Amino acid sequence: MPDCNGMNPPLTLADALRALPDATPQPDLWPQLAQTLAQRRRARRWRTALPIALAAGVALALLLPRVVERDATVATPTVVSSPTQEASTPSTASVEPVSTATANDIDALRRRSHSLETWIAAVSAQAPQNGRDLMAAVEVEDLIGVVDVQLDATRNDAEALPLWQRRVDLLEDLATIRGAAALSVRGDTRVAALQAI
Amino acid sequence: MTASSFQIDVPDLVLARARRGEARALEQIYRLFERPAYTLALRMLGNAESAREAMHDAMLRLLERVDQFRGDAPFWSWLRQIVVNEALMKLRRERGVAFEAFPDDADVPSTEPAPWMLADTCHLDHALARLPALTRSVLWLYHVEEYTHQEIAAMTGKSVSFSKSQVARGSLRLRDLLDPSLSDTTEATPCPTATA
Repeated sequence: MPDCNGMNPPLTLADALRALPDATPQPDLWPQLAQTLAQRRRARRWRTALPIALAAGVALALLLPRVVERDATVATPTVVSSPTQEASTPSTASVEPVSTATANDIDALRRRSHSLETWIAAVSAQAPQNGRDLMAAVEVEDLIGVVDVQLDATRNDAEALPLWQRRVDLLEDLATIRGAAALSVRGDTRVAALQAI
Repeated sequence: MTASSFQIDVPDLVLARARRGEARALEQIYRLFERPAYTLALRMLGNAESAREAMHDAMLRLLERVDQFRGDAPFWSWLRQIVVNEALMKLRRERGVAFEAFPDDADVPSTEPAPWMLADTCHLDHALARLPALTRSVLWLYHVEEYTHQEIAAMTGKSVSFSKSQVARGSLRLRDLLDPSLSDTTEATPCPTATA
């Protein structure tokens, strides 16, 4: 292909196509990319801190009522319940097992979530990622990020429970993707580990 | 003739710094692959804006996960695969199947010397831009990036014979578009690459 540099003409179409000049994005993309990277990094730090904060919150929610109840028993042993209090007591008593069950469910899901995350982190640290696995994993990670944001906005355990379930489901999807990538390079030694989590 | 301009080795020191999240190293990696990544996206998508978006998303995914790269395969092949995936996803989103039939006369074989031996780069650039997006992508992935027909079939979700036919028919169509007796006024417009 003759050009202004007087180079020899290409013999094949492949040669001709490769001889085409590279293009440059205009305007420069880096400033926008660097800004997005920084924002995502901040969001990721928050995403890491959030489960810890939630765990602390759940623990506090479980322990605080017991402490308050014990203090109330010790400090006001002679108080007689008013009718209003008596009326409200049965409803509180009937709600408590439900909320305890919800808190227990959340606790179980949180433990499952933590095991999955630990396993995924261990596998990810050892397995190279090919482009396709990486793309799929990124999609799932993005969805987990959305769930984490939603979890942050929940007001009670009843709202949080389905989100924790969703988070565990997504982590299981991610474990499957990461596990498949690991198995493809490490044989089947991790199958048992994947099934065990 | 050289292979794909994507085949750039990243120094180990730069990779190590990038894995630690050093912004300067991330920018060095970006600068190394800025042109080949954008060129690949531009060749596949056919317009500058879509190519910029695809490249931005691909680079973002790469740089966010550079710490996961273990070095079993060349770094450039990892990035290239991400760019190809982004471009193909964009093609599917923006154009549906993105397959356009050629006119029947494109099947007529020619005994003349290949016109790309005679055409200048700008002329070839224009002719390439006039191919249907998926055909152009397959042609580029096969001839320039040296993917096999099997790999292209897997990436595009089509058959191996589809990939082969796109390469054959795309080459014939380029031959027609570069034929001086059929050439139009494309020389009056700037090169697609130059304006990208």
